[in-house]
Amino acid sequence: MEKTASDEIVEVQDLYLNFYTYEGIVKALDGVNLNIKRGEILGVVGETGCGKSVTGLSILKIVVPPGKIEVGKVTFNVKGKSYNILDLNEPTMSKVRGRYISMIFQEPRAALNPVYSVGYQIGEVFQHHRREEIIKTVIEQLKGEVEKTSGFKRHICKIQLSLYERMLKNPKSLRVRLALKTPILKRFQNRMKTEIRNRTIELLKLLRIPDPERVIDMYPHELSGGMAQRCVIAMALVAKPMLLIADEPTTNLDVTVQAQILVLINELQKELGSSILYVTHDLGVVAELCDRVLIMYAGNVVETADVMTIFKEPLHPYTQGLLESIPRPGKPFTSIPGVVPGLINPPPGCRFNERCKYAMDICWKQKPKLVEVAKDHYVACHLYSGGK
Amino acid sequence: MKKMKVPERLEPTIKEIKFILRRIKDSPLSLAGIALVSAFIIIAVFAPVLAPPKPGFNPYLIPSDPSLGFRIEPSPPSPNHIFGTTTAQRDIYYACIWGARWAFQIALEVIVATVTVGIVLGLVAGYYGGFIDELIMRFTDIMLAFPGLILAMTLVTILSQVNWQTIDAVLLSIILIGWPGYTRLIRSEVLRIKNEDYIEAARACGASDLRIMLRHILPNAVYSIIIVASLDFGSIVLTTAAMSFLGLGAPLGWSDWGRLIYDGMSFVSGGLRWWWSWVYPGVFIVLFVLGWSLLGDALRDVLDPLYRRK
Amino acid sequence: MGLREYIIRRLILLIPVMLGVVVLIFALLQVVPPERRVLVYLSGNVRELNPTVIKAFIHQYGLDQPVWVQFASWLDQLLHGNLGYSEYTGPVLYNLIRRAPATIEIVIYSAPLIILIGIWTGVNAAVKRDKPFDHASRVLSVLGTSLPSFFFGIALSAIFIATLKWTGTGRLSLYMDSQLTALRTVGQWHDYTNLITVDALLNGRIDYFIDALKHLVLPVIVLVFINTATLVRVARSSMLEALSKTYVIAAKAKGLSQKEVVYKHARRNALIPVVTLSGLIVGGMMTGLVITETVFSFPGIGRWAADAAQHYDVPVVAAYAMFSAIVFVLSNLIVDILYAYIDPRIRLG
Repeated sequence: MEKTASDEIVEVQDLYLNFYTYEGIVKALDGVNLNIKRGEILGVVGETGCGKSVTGLSILKIVVPPGKIEVGKVTFNVKGKSYNILDLNEPTMSKVRGRYISMIFQEPRAALNPVYSVGYQIGEVFQHHRREEIIKTVIEQLKGEVEKTSGFKRHICKIQLSLYERMLKNPKSLRVRLALKTPILKRFQNRMKTEIRNRTIELLKLLRIPDPERVIDMYPHELSGGMAQRCVIAMALVAKPMLLIADEPTTNLDVTVQAQILVLINELQKELGSSILYVTHDLGVVAELCDRVLIMYAGNVVETADVMTIFKEPLHPYTQGLLESIPRPGKPFTSIPGVVPGLINPPPGCRFNERCKYAMDICWKQKPKLVEVAKDHYVACHLYSGGK
Repeated sequence: MKKMKVPERLEPTIKEIKFILRRIKDSPLSLAGIALVSAFIIIAVFAPVLAPPKPGFNPYLIPSDPSLGFRIEPSPPSPNHIFGTTTAQRDIYYACIWGARWAFQIALEVIVATVTVGIVLGLVAGYYGGFIDELIMRFTDIMLAFPGLILAMTLVTILSQVNWQTIDAVLLSIILIGWPGYTRLIRSEVLRIKNEDYIEAARACGASDLRIMLRHILPNAVYSIIIVASLDFGSIVLTTAAMSFLGLGAPLGWSDWGRLIYDGMSFVSGGLRWWWSWVYPGVFIVLFVLGWSLLGDALRDVLDPLYRRK
Repeated sequence: MGLREYIIRRLILLIPVMLGVVVLIFALLQVVPPERRVLVYLSGNVRELNPTVIKAFIHQYGLDQPVWVQFASWLDQLLHGNLGYSEYTGPVLYNLIRRAPATIEIVIYSAPLIILIGIWTGVNAAVKRDKPFDHASRVLSVLGTSLPSFFFGIALSAIFIATLKWTGTGRLSLYMDSQLTALRTVGQWHDYTNLITVDALLNGRIDYFIDALKHLVLPVIVLVFINTATLVRVARSSMLEALSKTYVIAAKAKGLSQKEVVYKHARRNALIPVVTLSGLIVGGMMTGLVITETVFSFPGIGRWAADAAQHYDVPVVAAYAMFSAIVFVLSNLIVDILYAYIDPRIRLG
């Protein structure tokens, strides 16, 4: 497989993930391979339970027990260097999450903490990832004020200035930490908080949220689904990430709102140049938004190609079945016969074998590997991997 | 494909039972609970064998040992009296064994009464709603405003003025403080189930209210009732013991664990010198309540769909 | 709806319940025949009054009137502070007020401990799920719910009082207590709050402070151990539920450290139902006090009620029951208001 190393920002290789449940070991991800290029929108399509959400979470190394990543490599390339996410420790990961890779979720109001205002929650990301920038701005402000004012006020500004400079140099300095706890002195934070608040309002404006000065202090339950989702997207974009993982962000929204959000995502993506990993089960969204598409079935990647090719020349029987089953006027309803196999005891060989009309003997014996069949078109099917 | 040894219709039930048994096996606390409760059931059932009563006397009355005189001071454990004796040389072992049977008797009587009242009132309140629901709920609110033991104390004190026996008064009081809880529980279950589609379907088929309540709603509420009732076994015994401890329960000489502790309390000033007079009954109480608590938890883990598969 | 409207609404709903409490007590009292009931109004030695005298008193106090008239006058008496007269201890209200400080002292030390220990243990047990800390705290909390408080109290009493002689029953040791009366007469001790530990500090007597504290240790331990158990269980399950919510994953995906995610995000949400439960537990402590004060012969209102019950002293027990109910109902109210304040979903409708 020919790739230009500078093009890819994230690559997943042979990722195996299991869930250890009472009923047995669910083999949720069975050797997933994918890569995401700079500035592209990659759609990940599949039915519920095929492992697409879990793949996204694995890239961020957020795997909730009883899940466990068994083996695999998740590489992410930034500033010319390449890191295996699965090797990084937690403190390092918390610098990556939200900053280089961030995520938006399916149910926006569930993704927001009900007891904090949305402004607070967006502000947290500023505090965490853009701290230095903000402190520097505040320092500039203070320097300006020191020049302009005089007397008592000037004195106060000078004290604040020294605290901020110290904060910049050594975030954990004892003097700063003490200052943060003493009653009157800790007011010096307010400048930083105001700066964060202003930037949050700007960000909300960017996301086309009306009346941001009011919304910023509202609580998640007070917002409509669409507004809440915009806030969640805002949270994810604060640090201008390289990759945005979008886990079915529009599935739970009204169709009209869905359209608005999709347009918004498209525009923002062009402005920021981020890549998006868009997880969905809706082929319509894929057609509209994505550059490349990845089809997943029962924990495996079965086909990947650019969006036009997938729709015009689907090669894998499952992809073909999916496209066939899109309702069209005049055409009778069709579906893929059978059901998704249970993943505790998946069938041997190709996991689609029970439902595939082209199934051959080998499909029950050997799992097909993902093979390049045409330029940038990969399929995992024995129909196409003869020889290669 | 696999050969089926069991008729297909029963297979989900078998799978369910296997799952339940495996969950129980995996949890040592559940096993402990089951073991304790079973042990107590055996003790209660075989009380006449384990501690033969004096013929002609009420078996719940603890026999005194004349060979030791009727001394007030308790005698230490000995081959004749494995747990020792308490005031007037009453045998503690006998009292503890029959105390188990007495505990079961009281608990069963109370639970049967409170659950019945709870079901009747809860079904009516939940199903019909409106004014009668408000009425019943306000009444339970008022009763629940009083801490249980204190209301029981009040009731017993008042009933004494009309010459009730304390044991009967205690029984009645515990029933009266227990029914509001079950009424609330069943009412909330009814409200939950009432809105399910199958109730609507039953009504569409022309089922009468009573039939719907008894055949459709109640069986679905049974799980919660079982879980709460098993926890209640323990708490009823704790309350009766507390009442006896305050001198309001069983009379002197009755094999009631709480009463034994009350009698033993006069000897606490001697420190651990007469420990057997209050330690043994206390341990019995703890193990009894513990067993039922663990059993209740185990049942909840197994029966409550919310907690399963976590 | 706004906080203010919420509070007003809850206060209004309070009235029927309070009324109901009072009515219920009255109804229970009516079970007692008038000959006994009239004795509540009479002080002094009432046992040997002959029937005609009693009948006269019944008429005088209107106990032969129809029920609603009796209720009105009874309620009227109640609101004027006349709670009746007990043949063993005298005026009921007077006793209630006089003995309350001892109980309040126990509650002041127990309540914060119950809340802090319960919440801290429960939250940490959830965070360290299935690790030794979790198992240990679960064992202790199961034990706490199964252990009769009187048994625990007696055991502690037997070990620490009777055997090791580290402390004693009552509020002060005999010696200190008798000294205290002397100090009072001489004017060297002023009862500012009637709480001995507080007054000791205010009077500058550390020895009294320590003595009173020593006598509080065992009752407080019993109350705390028993009441923390339920709180730990609820705190733990509430925290576990909060930890499984999507916003926790979202917070992690923002790059917050595990500590921040758990303590800033999950815990805040988990504490909402827990704080309210704490309030209810403290409001329901009245039961525990009856038993604990009896075991340790602590001269508070709990023991007063227990002694009265043994003597079938109806007015005292009825008064204590009413008092407990009112305390419980009020604590419910406070808790509901607190809940509305903490949870923005309720506060902002």
